[in-house]
Amino acid sequence: MVMTRTILAGLLCGLVPAAVVGARQSWSDRQSEWKAPAAADTKQNPLASRPETHAGGAKLFAERCSACHADDGTGTSRGPNLTLKRVQSQTDGALFWKISSGNTRTGMPAFSGIPALQRWQLVSHVRALVEAAP
Amino acid sequence: MFRRTSAGVVLSLLFCSSPLLAQQRAYFVTYDHYLEEPGNLELAVATTTGIPKRGESVYTAPWLEIEYGVTGWWTTELYLEGVTTRNDGNAFTGFRLENRFRPLKSEHRINPVIYVEYEGINEASRIQKEIVGAGGVHYEPIDELKREHEKELEAKLILSSAVRGWNLSENFIVERNLSESEGFEFGYSVGVSRPLGGLASGTACRLCRENFVLGVEAYGGLGSTEAFDRAAQRHYVAPVAAWRLGERTSLKGSVGFGLTDTSDRYLVRVGFAYELPVGSR
Repeated sequence: MVMTRTILAGLLCGLVPAAVVGARQSWSDRQSEWKAPAAADTKQNPLASRPETHAGGAKLFAERCSACHADDGTGTSRGPNLTLKRVQSQTDGALFWKISSGNTRTGMPAFSGIPALQRWQLVSHVRALVEAAP
Repeated sequence: MFRRTSAGVVLSLLFCSSPLLAQQRAYFVTYDHYLEEPGNLELAVATTTGIPKRGESVYTAPWLEIEYGVTGWWTTELYLEGVTTRNDGNAFTGFRLENRFRPLKSEHRINPVIYVEYEGINEASRIQKEIVGAGGVHYEPIDELKREHEKELEAKLILSSAVRGWNLSENFIVERNLSESEGFEFGYSVGVSRPLGGLASGTACRLCRENFVLGVEAYGGLGSTEAFDRAAQRHYVAPVAAWRLGERTSLKGSVGFGLTDTSDRYLVRVGFAYELPVGSR
């Protein structure tokens, strides 16, 4: 009985904050506030002229991004459409920074834990999403 | 027939192609700043096998870990744990409920995470997910130890950095036993790890370098506000390795080497994790 009460109390400790988080901003509100710093904006993609690396980017995207952004990058309820102008108009450096840094407010994970070259491969693939769109 | 179906289910869980696993942590004790992705549920099973120094029974402490990403800045986790020994019996040793909060919106040079955990365990607990205070593992018979219940509150300050492809993480731990007066107990863990890959290959591969993370972690207890006895401290250093088996699954292992007289000779840890999406952001 004591054990049951303790487990229930413990679960409540987790559930109460969950309820508080229920009232959240919409995804687009949170996204519109998210800007890469100026220093990140100017970085060049070292793989832009190496098309042989793009297949790796497609694989990484399928493994790590498509659950939220869909296989073709057009977005799901968990993540935005990456083929839109507001994403594609950003510089490679800004996209690299956002992939690396993540955003705890929008739910975008930080991918700084994977090698930088792989993050650049992802940037190349995000660019390729538009070319592949019908 | 049933066996063949079961094997098929297990293999499909291991190598299924549905995308998900984003970050891969090789550490067992040290936490970094990467939280579970919002809406993702991670189920993990792991064991700590302790090989003591003075002829006490070898023990294995398994645990089940259910981790859920509530938001981008909050991950919650439930542990259920047990212990089995060669000669001294087996027991369910309790549960732990932990929450991790990442206060900053984006990545910085040092990324803090606040960790709060409530433990309802007994004295037979040996998973050693963290080590605090001083003194060794209790080697009395499990039947006696499991009658000694304790409720504990634990907090950690997690500091973690991504530096040129390396992860550096430091955890500062303080624990308070709510069941009896032991003062505040302190512990630490630090880890460094690195994914092996550079460029990702364009083809699916299981054994290629990009699927592996190697590192080392060190952890131990420092004493308490009531006693600070360096001779009674336990410290370990443990090489760690993680392998992405598929998009949803990972396997990791470590061998911890006891550095003090009070430490066990070795702590061998193995863990398997499976991740699945259950909610939206």
